[in-house]
Amino acid sequence: MVLAGLLVVVFWLAMLLLAPLLAPYDPLAQNVRNRLQPPGALHSMGTDELGRDIFSRILHGTLVTLPAGLAVIAFGALIGIVVGALAGYYGGLLDDLLMRITELFMAFPTIILAMALAAALGPSIQNAVLALVIVWWPAYARIVRGLVLDVKHRDYVEAARSAGAGDFYILSRTILPNCLAPALILATLDVGNAILTFAGLSFLGLGSAPEVPEWGRMVSIAIDFFDQWWMWLYPGAVIASLVMAFNFIGDGLRDLLDPRLRGK
Amino acid sequence: MKQARQWFTGLLLLILALLLSAIGATAQDEQVVVIGHAESTDSLDPARGYTGTTAIVHRAIYETLVTFPDADASAIEPRLATSWTISEDGLVYTFTLNPAAVFSDGSPVEASDVVFSFNRLKNVQGNPSFLADPIASIEAPDAGTVVITLSAIRPSFLAELTNNAFSVSNAEVVQANGGTDAADAATADAAGAWLDANSAGSGPYILEEWDKTVRTVLVRNPNYYGEAPFFDRVIIANIPESAAQKIALESGEIDVALEITADQVGDMESNADISLFKSPGLAVHFIIMNQDESIGGPVSNPLVQRAIRLALDYSGYLDLWGGVTPGSNLAVGLLGAYSSLDGTAVTRDLDAARALLAEAGYPDGFEITLEYPDFTWQGVNMNTNAQKIQADLAEVGITVTLQPGELQVALERYRAGEAGFGYWFWGPDILDPLDLLAFLPGGKVATERAKWLTENASADLLDLINQASLATEATARVEIFGQLQRYMQENAPFAPFVQPDLTVATRASVAGYVWHPQWALDVALLSRAG
Amino acid sequence: MSFQRYLVRRLLLTLPLLLGITVVAFLIANAVPADPINANLPPNQLNNETIVRAFREKWGLDKPPVEQYFVYLGNLLRGDMGRSIKSGEPVLADIAKYLPATIELSTVGIVLGMSLGIFFGVVSAVWRNSPVDYVVRFLSLIGVSFPIFLLALLGLTILHAELRLLPGPGRLGFTASEPPTVTGLFVVDSLLASDFDTLRDALRRLILPGFVLALYLSGIIARITRSSLLEVLGQDYMRTARAKGLNERNVILRHGLSNALIPVVTVIGLMYGNLLVGSVLIERIFAWPGIGQYMFRASTSQDFPAIMGVSMLIAFIYVVVNFVVDLLYYFIDPRIRLA
Repeated sequence: MVLAGLLVVVFWLAMLLLAPLLAPYDPLAQNVRNRLQPPGALHSMGTDELGRDIFSRILHGTLVTLPAGLAVIAFGALIGIVVGALAGYYGGLLDDLLMRITELFMAFPTIILAMALAAALGPSIQNAVLALVIVWWPAYARIVRGLVLDVKHRDYVEAARSAGAGDFYILSRTILPNCLAPALILATLDVGNAILTFAGLSFLGLGSAPEVPEWGRMVSIAIDFFDQWWMWLYPGAVIASLVMAFNFIGDGLRDLLDPRLRGK
Repeated sequence: MKQARQWFTGLLLLILALLLSAIGATAQDEQVVVIGHAESTDSLDPARGYTGTTAIVHRAIYETLVTFPDADASAIEPRLATSWTISEDGLVYTFTLNPAAVFSDGSPVEASDVVFSFNRLKNVQGNPSFLADPIASIEAPDAGTVVITLSAIRPSFLAELTNNAFSVSNAEVVQANGGTDAADAATADAAGAWLDANSAGSGPYILEEWDKTVRTVLVRNPNYYGEAPFFDRVIIANIPESAAQKIALESGEIDVALEITADQVGDMESNADISLFKSPGLAVHFIIMNQDESIGGPVSNPLVQRAIRLALDYSGYLDLWGGVTPGSNLAVGLLGAYSSLDGTAVTRDLDAARALLAEAGYPDGFEITLEYPDFTWQGVNMNTNAQKIQADLAEVGITVTLQPGELQVALERYRAGEAGFGYWFWGPDILDPLDLLAFLPGGKVATERAKWLTENASADLLDLINQASLATEATARVEIFGQLQRYMQENAPFAPFVQPDLTVATRASVAGYVWHPQWALDVALLSRAG
Repeated sequence: MSFQRYLVRRLLLTLPLLLGITVVAFLIANAVPADPINANLPPNQLNNETIVRAFREKWGLDKPPVEQYFVYLGNLLRGDMGRSIKSGEPVLADIAKYLPATIELSTVGIVLGMSLGIFFGVVSAVWRNSPVDYVVRFLSLIGVSFPIFLLALLGLTILHAELRLLPGPGRLGFTASEPPTVTGLFVVDSLLASDFDTLRDALRRLILPGFVLALYLSGIIARITRSSLLEVLGQDYMRTARAKGLNERNVILRHGLSNALIPVVTVIGLMYGNLLVGSVLIERIFAWPGIGQYMFRASTSQDFPAIMGVSMLIAFIYVVVNFVVDLLYYFIDPRIRLA
């Protein structure tokens, strides 16, 4: 399963890089005389309401959705790790303060925050990613804080401290390296979820502009063309396949690294 | 475990029962017609509402002094007024009211109600209030007579009186609910909310419920003095997507689908349960460019405006929606309108467009944001057209960023002239070439929305506009409006690009559907066969 | 620790959180560069001096931002969230109108989702590594990986448009009128009014969106139930129970599941966010007039009073749900009592 997931992800990563070479058509090229064509020899996934080739749009869509999902995880994890490390390491008032803030942000569900931000800043891919990052980091902050608390009194940390190392050195060289693995597992498990939520936001029109070949947006436009099932089925299925692949990998990693679930 | 099994069996039975009940139809005591429609209602107050849906609803719950025949705008017919006279100088109109006419509460429709309604329309300063501008004064010498004096001759005045904005409402009831017709009505009138939920008219129906974005429900007016309509209850269900309307119609959930798109037609033609009605639509889809440079930027330049007119792929829009290419903002079907039918419309010329852009100082094009509503009007998906505009203009180097907005939000910006570059549609206010004057200096759209002002217009143009507003003889009007349209093809902040056909589908059992150019649909004419 | 002390402690932690939520909501609404008058009043009232002045006074707009916040908080404590620009009604009244539709749908979704999820989770854990387990795991993976809008569109196409088994979008048919409002839940209200036609219609229309939401939730629940039951099954007391000769089914159901459900319950509390994402998307596709649709329309029409109101409400509910979960822990988890 992990292997299958990896293969799919590698496949989509390849698409990400090769889309411009592989796509048979320009994803923006319109041909209204050839609109709403069902899948056939010329257009393997049919054409949309302006006669654009859906297969080419899906290939180019990788360029939008995959980086967006990865960016959410990268920035979310980065902020979360910094906040969690500071809270766990220094403890006391700083810890209390940071953790209350963390809880505060957990209270706003992604979609609500994204809608509020879209209203305030206007809908765009960047704002959708920003909204997701704002709700994504608290989970990482909590986990990393727990890990840091666990590690910070270990011998090697104490050793570094008695050797006169500074806080920054201790945190970055002795504590964090020991917390990164679990955070990375969480991140892998999370990529699928981030892509899914991002697709949901674009489906609502809170992400890209209408002409941009973004998978969620393609599905939302296709709602007006319900009968032309190929307009929504293919982009929807592509989201599902990518998310499933990431979930395969995440599951596999967890099974490997979580001894409680290994074997009988 | 045994319990669990029983519980599970019970659940299965329940689901089965629900599914079975889905098949059996429920008996209806009353006659109900359900109309699927992409609702655009801004307000149901006759003095404030000014959209397509409002016209349909008002046609059913209010009445105007005069009206058109059921299917076209070929003649002026009596409605609340049984007869009228026009003074020699063309300024004073005297109407005699139908003594039998009563409001839905049973009280008679009197001249004072007409005076109140028209003054309120004028003073509330709502979106349709401009229609009352030609009126200098209105009086009620007795309960059955209304005298309207105009400030200038207006050949189209009677035709304008058919507009639902001139609906006559029950003055007493509206006043009791906060309404006023005084000069300060714009701020003092508080009846808007009440009129959104209730009606105070004399039409065949009364408003029972308007659940915004869900449905509008009309019920038979028990006191209606005219011929009783067939249906007891009319439900206008808000179904924004044409695709969803089609499915609901096919499954019999709705009886009428008002917004069917050209590409759904083929599939439905073979369905014996469905009747299709195709009519030439009257809505002109156009690009509007703000003449104020601080708002419009590059598109405030007349050369750029002309280049944009030359850059659009007109035949492509016809492929998308059917219909005609209008030669100007004058809807094809009205007297003297230019169109692709007789070769008087603008045709695409990319080289000329590029040359004009270079001449205007934009040899490499420019970037601009196109504002438009995220809306489907009469089956025409504006998002689709906006993307085509974007692609068309990309060919001459103009990079367009699309900014779809929620209908009411975009509408406010458009009406206030805050958008620099927009895409909208226009259904005529008046079924007369005079409607074009809205798009010329001094007119509403030109002045308020495109900032094309009289002080920037040439004396020749102003003279032509003046002639157009006064001419009454047909050949002379065709000639003058022809000149105006030719002028607009060269110099105007508008680029009309398609006037789509209109397709409505009904269940075959529904009879009496007629499309009307003014109010789209008169629900009182609908009936059910068998 | 006594229950009272625990309760007070949790309360003390919760209150600042609630306050913080109001701050965040206030910040979002004031992040707009636009003039607050323009952002909060309908355009036709902008020229009205009296209304504008009254609005300025009520929300303290002439005062510095910090003071404005306290004015806002004061109004909020009196139950005044301001008026929605789009509907013209008080935001609180709007919420009361739209929330029941969401509650009705989510309840169906959660109940179905939990039943399916726990059932399949147990099956999968008990027959671990059997073909059944693989099938269930694969299905639950689909549940968590499929975009909910795809499930909804597939359901509508197949079950409604093609097979005509289930009704289409909407909470009630176009011809049905709403039952008299008592709870706002159509199923309950129509039952109270003995209006069985409406009840049937309301139930039928809940099936499809309810199932779509349930499928989405059940994937997550099945995965958690499985792993948490597997963990419990490996514990000592389970071995003891088996050693005492209890049959396997009793062992799993009596001892295993009850312990395994603790994390499941916690996760359901945390799944609140997923539930909401699901509801918003489902409401959009099924034209369901719930709080998600209301928030969506508020955000597209820049209706800031409504946006603030709904965000705050949703966050408040989240905090309250987690507060209740915390209290439940006191009874479930003995370690708290001993601390």
